[in-house]
Amino acid sequence: MRLQRRRGALLVLAALALFFLAAAFTGCDPALLWSRRGHLADILVKMFPPDWGWFPRILAPLWATVQMSVAGTALGALLALAAAPLCAGNLPFPAPLRTALRALVQLTRTFPALILALTATFLVGIGPFAGTAAITVYTFAIMARLTSDDIETAPDGAFRALLTMGTPPYRAFFRGMFPSVASTYLTNALYLLETNVRHSAILGYVGAGGIGLLLNEKISWREYEKVGSILLALFLAVCLIESLSAYLTALVTGRRKAGRTLRRVIIAAAVVLTLVSAATVGRPDFARTSLRTAAAMLGGLVHPDWGFFFDTGAGGLGYLLLETVAIALAGTVLGALASFPLALLGSGRLMPRPVALLGRTVCLAIRAVPFLVYGLIFIRATGPGPFTGVLTIAVCSVGLISKRFGQAIDTMDMRAYRALASMGVPVLSRVRWALLPQLGPAFGSAVLYRFDVNIREASVLGLVGAGGIGAPLVFAMDHFDWPTAGAIAIGLVLLVWAIDWLSGQLRKN
Amino acid sequence: MFLRLQDVCKSYNGGSVRALDGVSFAVAEGQFVSVIGPSGAGKTTLVRLLCGAERCDAGQIELDGVRLDQARGGALRALQRRLGSIWQDFALVEQASALQNVLNAALPDMSPLPALAGAFGRQRRDEAAALLDRVGLADKLDAPVHQLSGGQKQRVAIARALMRRPALLLADEPVASLDPVTGRQIMELLQDIRRTEGLTVLMNSHDLALAKEFSDRLIGLNTGRVVYDGPADVPDQALAAVYGGGEAAP
Ligand SMILES: Nc1ncnc2c1ncn2[C@@H]1O[C@H](COP(=O)(O)OP(=O)(O)O)[C@@H](O)[C@H]1O
Ligand SMILES: [Mg+2]
Repeated sequence: MRLQRRRGALLVLAALALFFLAAAFTGCDPALLWSRRGHLADILVKMFPPDWGWFPRILAPLWATVQMSVAGTALGALLALAAAPLCAGNLPFPAPLRTALRALVQLTRTFPALILALTATFLVGIGPFAGTAAITVYTFAIMARLTSDDIETAPDGAFRALLTMGTPPYRAFFRGMFPSVASTYLTNALYLLETNVRHSAILGYVGAGGIGLLLNEKISWREYEKVGSILLALFLAVCLIESLSAYLTALVTGRRKAGRTLRRVIIAAAVVLTLVSAATVGRPDFARTSLRTAAAMLGGLVHPDWGFFFDTGAGGLGYLLLETVAIALAGTVLGALASFPLALLGSGRLMPRPVALLGRTVCLAIRAVPFLVYGLIFIRATGPGPFTGVLTIAVCSVGLISKRFGQAIDTMDMRAYRALASMGVPVLSRVRWALLPQLGPAFGSAVLYRFDVNIREASVLGLVGAGGIGAPLVFAMDHFDWPTAGAIAIGLVLLVWAIDWLSGQLRKN
Repeated sequence: MFLRLQDVCKSYNGGSVRALDGVSFAVAEGQFVSVIGPSGAGKTTLVRLLCGAERCDAGQIELDGVRLDQARGGALRALQRRLGSIWQDFALVEQASALQNVLNAALPDMSPLPALAGAFGRQRRDEAAALLDRVGLADKLDAPVHQLSGGQKQRVAIARALMRRPALLLADEPVASLDPVTGRQIMELLQDIRRTEGLTVLMNSHDLALAKEFSDRLIGLNTGRVVYDGPADVPDQALAAVYGGGEAAP
């Protein structure tokens, strides 16, 4: 007991120390932000009212964005479903295949969608096809991991029974085991669809189609009222997809019932939408591609620039990776702090309905804006550098953390709280001892999960000049400097692997 | 009299549901009283009024000479500090350890800063540990409550109530969510504690057999009215009014 409490206090102290180190390392300067708050306000004011007349021009790229995410999510999720049983440790599939697939998943999981898209443009040409390919690979990696984790904890009695009757293992899996993981699988896929719409919206930045190109153009030309209309359109699209996915999730998890015909109509509509999206996404363009490019890229991975890899100076890989981690760390902590009041505000349980609705809309609006856009806006206030990266990551984290945290608040068990009240415990002590213990674990796991995502996001911030490893990586790729790109890629893989291991250890405690 | 109720009324939904309809009785110090009655008779409502979680619409509730129904703020909390309560669903913090749950009952006696920081002090920790030992959980001090069985959870809840050194112990269906064997063990524990500590106990139960076996006196409620008030060792026919015309017999 004593020991446990001391360890808890040590953990908190260590986290605080890490945060302040990371903040100092990335040059966090609240005074600078405060002194230049006018710039931010200016940009916001200029976005309203948005340029309504320009709205129709947005529809085509917006549709392309949605199309890329629908096609990519569906394809990636299907591939993941095929691969997941082969990755799961508890099923009798060949071990070498399992090891190879797991390595592939871990490898692809390391790279943010944007870097995947940039890579794809070298192989399949500029355009939405590259974006769709990137979303597919990105979805595949995440879904394969989540689904195989689920399979490992699912009951396997029916599966074993089918095996003993001589059913081939792959078929036995889909008959005997998939039904018990199906609803989580679909829920995860729907959640990824939402995320992917936001991701697709910035892929245009590297020439991979969708609304990103237009968005980047309008921000750099400072036509903020047009930026406003694009963001508004995105917000509406995200709202639509969120409510659709919430409805479908409720159906999938059985919280809402639908008749047979309605179910069929929904399935048919989903299939048609996916097929139409996939069929009209545009063809790959192999004009610029050659086997030589592909060989050179692979060569970079096999023979990376070891000099750069082991360089411990300020321009070396170690320093850049450290900066990336520091940005992610400081940004996650700041974002978590900001999420706390927002989640309270958006809780239907603690707040009156209109307030809660307002809180949720603010959260959704924050979430709808693609994260590089925050980078581009903050950079106008705080200039290029890692501090801008920290601010960007912080704002992006707010959406997800406050959503998860709000869910935890809304499912809190109030019985102990009331029991303590009836013994005369004052309200603050009641909150501290009956409610916080329930929220702690949910909050911790949301923050850890977001940190994991933020490492990836922070590694592309360099694209807009907001620090980290992204700038050198994209620069190297643009200049066909594959040995440097290879070194960075290997560094990122090792980093994500190390963070995975660390957060696994933390979760255990 | 230690606890006295006079014409207590409580209704819900703007008066359409009369949960308690003119309830009067008095309990002497050291008595073990069971409130019996079918589901919906108003038993839980009665306990909620007695522990100050809700206010009655009319009537008087007096605890040790102080009007509980009129007390507010600090005065109400001062009365509540003399109560211990046990609930059907345990009402524990599932993520916290058994010891922490018992310590939570010491919070009303502490000043704000130590209470928030968790500086309970050696003496309170020892007392809480001794109480868990008393209810037979000496080896579960640090176990998170969600890892305990139903019977063990209710033992933690009893230890938490005792931590208040209550003048009056309120129990709302303390064994209704336990299996019969475990339920009997919990009742035996309660009886034993009452004997050694000289507690006054007011317990709700829809289980007539248990109530008759363990209490000195029965109060029968039906649709919010007292329809029986007398000794516990009477034949079942004497209690016909309690279960007649209610929603369901036990
Ligand atoms: N919070 C409430 N809102 C509305 N009606 C309630 C509420 N609490 C209790 N009631 C009603 O009051 C009556 C008595 O309920 P209760 O005291 O829970 O009975 P018991 O505990 O004996 O089963 C029931 O008809 C119940 O529906
Ligand atoms: Mg009840």
